[in-house]
Amino acid sequence: MIKFISRRLLLLIPVIIGVSIISFSIMHMIPGDPARIIAGEGATKQDIEAIRSKYGLDKPLIEQYFRFMKGILTNDLRSIKTERPILKEISPRFLNTVQLAMVSILISSIIGISLGIISAVKRNTWVDNFAMFFSLIGVSMPIFWLGILLIIIFAVILSWLPSGGKGGIEHIILPAITLGLATSAIIARMTRASMLEVLSQDYVRTAKAFGLPKRKVVYKYVLRNALIPIVTVIGLQFGYLLGGAVLTESVFGWPGLGRYVVDSIFNRDYIAVQVGIMVIAMSFVLVNLVVDIFYALIDPRLRRG
Amino acid sequence: MRKVLLIALLVFVVSLFAAKYGGTLRFLIGVDATTLLGPNIPDSISNIVASHILEGLIDVDENLRIIPCLAEQWEIQEGGTAYVFYLRKGVKFHDGEDFNAYAVKKHFDYVLNSSLRNVGMFKGIVKEVQVLNDYTVKFKLFQPYTPILYRLATSSAAWILSPKAIEKYGNDPATFGRNPVGTGPFIFKEWKVGEKIELVKNPNYWQQGLPYLDGITFSVVSEDVSRVTQVRAADADIMYNPPPALIPALEQDSRLVVKTIPTVRVIYIGINSRTTPLNDVRVRQALNYAIDREKLCKVIMRDMARPSDSPLSSITYGYVSTGLYPYDPQKAKQLLKEAGYNGLKLELITPKGRYLNDYETAVALQGMFKEIGVTLDVKPMEWGTYVAKILSNKPEDWDYQLFLLGWAPGTAEGHWVLFPLFHSINQMGNPQGTARYNNFFYSNPKVDELIDKIGTELDEKRLMDYYAQAQKMILQDAPALFLYEMKIATVMRKEVKDLKIYPTERFNMTYTWIDK
Repeated sequence: MIKFISRRLLLLIPVIIGVSIISFSIMHMIPGDPARIIAGEGATKQDIEAIRSKYGLDKPLIEQYFRFMKGILTNDLRSIKTERPILKEISPRFLNTVQLAMVSILISSIIGISLGIISAVKRNTWVDNFAMFFSLIGVSMPIFWLGILLIIIFAVILSWLPSGGKGGIEHIILPAITLGLATSAIIARMTRASMLEVLSQDYVRTAKAFGLPKRKVVYKYVLRNALIPIVTVIGLQFGYLLGGAVLTESVFGWPGLGRYVVDSIFNRDYIAVQVGIMVIAMSFVLVNLVVDIFYALIDPRLRRG
Repeated sequence: MRKVLLIALLVFVVSLFAAKYGGTLRFLIGVDATTLLGPNIPDSISNIVASHILEGLIDVDENLRIIPCLAEQWEIQEGGTAYVFYLRKGVKFHDGEDFNAYAVKKHFDYVLNSSLRNVGMFKGIVKEVQVLNDYTVKFKLFQPYTPILYRLATSSAAWILSPKAIEKYGNDPATFGRNPVGTGPFIFKEWKVGEKIELVKNPNYWQQGLPYLDGITFSVVSEDVSRVTQVRAADADIMYNPPPALIPALEQDSRLVVKTIPTVRVIYIGINSRTTPLNDVRVRQALNYAIDREKLCKVIMRDMARPSDSPLSSITYGYVSTGLYPYDPQKAKQLLKEAGYNGLKLELITPKGRYLNDYETAVALQGMFKEIGVTLDVKPMEWGTYVAKILSNKPEDWDYQLFLLGWAPGTAEGHWVLFPLFHSINQMGNPQGTARYNNFFYSNPKVDELIDKIGTELDEKRLMDYYAQAQKMILQDAPALFLYEMKIATVMRKEVKDLKIYPTERFNMTYTWIDK
């Protein structure tokens, strides 16, 4: 197991280098002069030149890349806009995103897995149809629209929950539901498919034939074996959520990482975008690593692979 | 009996007065502030926040007239090359330091010797600041420069910082930007990045009895519809720039007040007068006559704009109406015919979403030009790319014909419109230009001369005369199609009273109170 984990960790090194090169180059492919935009509409020529040389934007790309990598390693990269260390700006927002992603994934796992199980067990009944119809709506509903709808119902009309911002636990409910609904639909579909596959296996029929209670069969044998693809989906979705649920964060004014990256793109805050993308990519890679380790734990056969 | 009545009346008056005090105002902003260090502020939101913490020697009121602030009086001396300010006594900075002539000198020495973002407002103009006595300072200029008073009144670089804070943070603008220390009505408390900035009341403010509020919280909500909804749900008190389509519904809501005022921003279609056929003044005038500005403001802008007849908005200092150009498609056609053009084809590049309904305006012009036989090709571009093109110093980028842009002088006076945009020294690519925004490639020696005079004339009557001549000449030469001046709409809960809104998109909450 230790060998498996250390091999996976070693594999991360080329991934990190690749990610750094890609996130570095993406911002340079976008047209537009960052110095001009940073300087603002009323800036003089001298201001613009000063900004260009201050951030090394007049240097060759290779040099800029090494400056960037050195800055990351020494934690010395500063945002062009605020002139503060970027990791200092990003870390509270990343934590906010993690918080939102965790509550969302919790909500969507509970809804998704229960719906999936019910659907699978009651296959082709009205319960199944209803659950799958619900999940179809969940997948196809635009997040932006759903968010506004929830705000209008629960904040403006009913005044039960706050309409946005970050504060007590009540502030996280609406954004987490908005974000979790689409995910719960995906989880529900995956759970149903995976459960159905396991339900059709011989050992399940055997277990039933032995007269084991249906409930016990479903939870002890079927669910456990159906879990691997479900965990994969949850892991992947969690990775996406960590990437910053930009729309949800915008609608609810949730100060997360996704919104930070988008704002930085508009400000042409090259360095902040590059670091932001690095953080998102790295968290995605790490979530995948955790999922893989989790697999290896529940299915020892995978450790060899 | 009379005594009882008198006491009752007194109690009533006091309670009425006391009722004004207290409460925290919740103000929504679309993006986070950048820095609260005045000389380094690049954007209007940081400006709104910082203007409650920091103050300058002089200020402007809601009508953009210059008023005293930390200086009670001032005099212009030595033929306009020296400005003497008599300072207010008994004012203290938030850190307990005394405000006096030494503090003013310390601040401007710091600004003039730094390379912060806005120091260009004074560098090269102010030679030095001298302390005449504890409460008198003298600004020596290199040469007469009349907009200096407006700059001192409006530029965030002129907001005096505590000398102790300059000592402590002067070398680290990033940290200074999070620890602003001024003399303003509110004290900086906390900044949660991307989330909110909190200010609390300055109990020792020099304006007795002010402010009424206990504090202000600026919360960041990037989506404009969400900002509107939060105010409607009573989770916030104020937001500005709502989507215009929502304004009628908001005006119907009895719990809200929508206030709309004009701003100093003028939206125009710039003309590259180097390219044919636009180098012919008759063509440029024809395009001007083809525009129904009233209709643009009403239909496209939904009354969030008013027709323009100058590069200056009607509230910018120096504005004089030119009376040009009325909507006259017949005259337009005739001018085109005189110039010898039939079936003209032009291209207009425009941002999409940078200004309210910018692209929609461009498309409406397409229809208006069609009526005079001009085919207009509208090409929207992403803002970053767009700015890089129209403000480029590389000659290969100067192939554009028409472009949509807006200009808002934060200084509230006309020199900062005329000089950067229309002085020939500021033509793109000219290495002598100090504020190169003349991307019309406009050049008129008479206008240059007038703009130079506007920069140095102290006599107000003559100054206004130069302003009038310059505006009329520019309009005659038609380097641009001035379309409309933008308005700004503010949505607030009806409990919010006495909020001052400036045409420079500044909000003053010193006098604001909440009617509970």
